[in-house]
Amino acid sequence: MPPVIDEKKCKKCGYCAAICPLDVLYLDKAAQKLLVRYPDECWHCKACMRDCPVKAITIRYPLSHMMLHYPKEVE
Amino acid sequence: MHKYKCEFLCVGGGIGGLMAAIAAGKKGIDVIVAEKADTRRSGSGSNGNDHFHCYIPECHGTDMSRVYREIGASFDAGPWVDSNLTAVWINRSFEIIKMWEEMGITMRPTGEWRFEGHGMPGQQLYNLKFDGALQKKCLTAEAKKQGARILNRVVIHDILTGEDGRVTGALGIDINNEEPEMVVIECKAALLATGMVSRMYPSITPAYMFNTPCCPATTGDAQAMAYRAGAKLVNMDMLNGHAGPKYLARGGKGTWIGVSTDIRGRSITSYNSKPSRATGDITADVWPTCYRDRLKQGKGPTFMNCTETPVEDLDYMLHTAMVSEGIDSITDYCEHYGIDLTKDMVEFGTYPIMMGQRGIEIDDHARSSIPGLYAAGNCTGNVNGSLAGAAAFGMVAGEDAAEYVKTVDEAPVGNEDLINERQQLYDAFMSRRDGAHWKEAASTLQNLMNEYASADQQNEDMLRAGMVYMGQLRENCLNELACANSHELLRSIEVLNMIDLAEPIFLCSENRKETRGPHVRADYSYMDITLNGKFQTIYKDKDGTVHLEYRFKK
Ligand SMILES: Cc1cc2nc3c(=O)[nH]c(=O)nc-3n(C[C@H](O)[C@H](O)[C@H](O)COP(=O)(O)OP(=O)(O)OC[C@H]3O[C@@H](n4cnc5c(N)ncnc54)[C@H](O)[C@@H]3O)c2cc1C
Ligand code: SF4
Ligand code: SF4
Repeated sequence: MPPVIDEKKCKKCGYCAAICPLDVLYLDKAAQKLLVRYPDECWHCKACMRDCPVKAITIRYPLSHMMLHYPKEVE
Repeated sequence: MHKYKCEFLCVGGGIGGLMAAIAAGKKGIDVIVAEKADTRRSGSGSNGNDHFHCYIPECHGTDMSRVYREIGASFDAGPWVDSNLTAVWINRSFEIIKMWEEMGITMRPTGEWRFEGHGMPGQQLYNLKFDGALQKKCLTAEAKKQGARILNRVVIHDILTGEDGRVTGALGIDINNEEPEMVVIECKAALLATGMVSRMYPSITPAYMFNTPCCPATTGDAQAMAYRAGAKLVNMDMLNGHAGPKYLARGGKGTWIGVSTDIRGRSITSYNSKPSRATGDITADVWPTCYRDRLKQGKGPTFMNCTETPVEDLDYMLHTAMVSEGIDSITDYCEHYGIDLTKDMVEFGTYPIMMGQRGIEIDDHARSSIPGLYAAGNCTGNVNGSLAGAAAFGMVAGEDAAEYVKTVDEAPVGNEDLINERQQLYDAFMSRRDGAHWKEAASTLQNLMNEYASADQQNEDMLRAGMVYMGQLRENCLNELACANSHELLRSIEVLNMIDLAEPIFLCSENRKETRGPHVRADYSYMDITLNGKFQTIYKDKDGTVHLEYRFKK
């Protein structure tokens, strides 16, 4: 579930859902709930996180996207 | 059905589309931008870019032959571009930079013109280091200021032309609500600027199709609709790609300040042995397949090695440059997992094929072969499509279209048959129950491209078989796809576009009976010197006959 929403902070303004380039987020107006509807279509671009006015979003990087790193060998 | 009317329609509100809207709006014509997502954060420049390839006379001197030679040798130009078009964007680059600065984009974060990265040691540097984090918001505000109407979440599917062959409009869908609505836009001229083809081949993590270096919403829609409408495409046989960290696919390799090394820290090329903030590491620009090539040669793994980078440069890279470039997901990742770049090397990979700068052939006015149809940016096939090229040709298109629309009379949109056919298709997808999901089709599309139009090696038999299987996939999609809402209809249209775009790739690849650059043929393993300096073009005429031709590079 790449973007993680802090339910307590979220004001349900819908801005993140509007600007997400991949249409991952959806504001269910009737239920007053912000849904991460298509998590595996997330590009991890951080647009939602950057633009949320109350900083209610963090991004979780999935294990599929592991960044391989190797410690430099010290001679 | 929603109907709109304007003089000039920009399809795609990325860098090229917004620059066209601004230029045309300044000339007083009526402009609409139709954008799949939201222009404030859409496309490959959504969260920023940090290098603007440019020529600034006060910094680079007036020896233009040197400027052309040095820019021409770097990756942004490469061999698959027409030199007359390169001259257009180089000559207008400074004008655009000054314009962007006036719009509020930070072109001089340090207060002076500063060039860094993508640099060939010993040459002048041409990449202006800027902060593009807010570029899309500034460009959107300027387009609106110049009078353009922006239709966010309107996905264009087809360009419409009249009996005389010129553009009369476009059709698509509005995905603002759960239930999609068909859209028809009447216009005299249109620009196609929908970016890369990010999802035609498997990603570096095949189970996660949206893990791509450039924006996964850019799916070759422009090239597909141009081809269907009869426009000429070029260089479709020259598959290309990108490189970056494994397995977090990210563009922006030029932002790293390090050296490509083997596991023992030895540089893999002779360009630089020590990290340089001034030049960056040019290796992946001039040899983007180096990481894959080395793996195949049994020489992997290969790393982006920043362990010798001065700490202040590393801090700048992670906390300033990567933010400007919109790739600070890497910074967050390093922090979350305690990756210390003074000690840890990041393994780089060559990502699978992602077609950019392979597509619509344009001239120096950004005109395609269809009257009234323009193209700019990553969807064009014979010019640099990155930031400077996209911005310059978007602007050129907007200026030219503003003159063109005055010379032609209004014409009815026409195309009732096609409009009805599309409406019926959308209705069928939306009403079908228990049908196929778009991901099933996308998976087969990617498998077919990967195996039958392979980046490793192709032959005539595989290409022919692949073409037939792609036809079967199209047929099955039309008969079986089902969509629960407008989001799924959008994704289904993207897959259908990529299936259509496979045709020119297969046909051009089959017709190029030689091995050259990224085009590797098992059945023609030599280079045919009669094709030296030539580009291959393809178009389909009204009765569906395909024309393949070679022409000299300009
Ligand atoms: C992380 C990253 C860093 C980069 N850094 C640099 C850099 O520093 N310097 C540089 O020169 N280049 C850089 N690039 C490349 C640069 O961003 C692109 O070359 C540039 O954005 C291309 O502009 P464009 O207009 O062709 O496409 P884009 O800017 O990608 O815009 C295409 C737009 O079309 C929309 N669209 C797609 N299909 C449809 C449709 N059917 N209907 C309506 N709209 C549609 C998309 O949503 C998108 O908004 C970088 C790319 C990435 C991903
Ligand atoms: S932008 Fe922030 S506050 Fe608004 S809906 Fe999204 S998460 Fe909630
Ligand atoms: S990280 Fe990007 S793609 Fe993912 S939900 Fe946020 S805005 Fe959308």
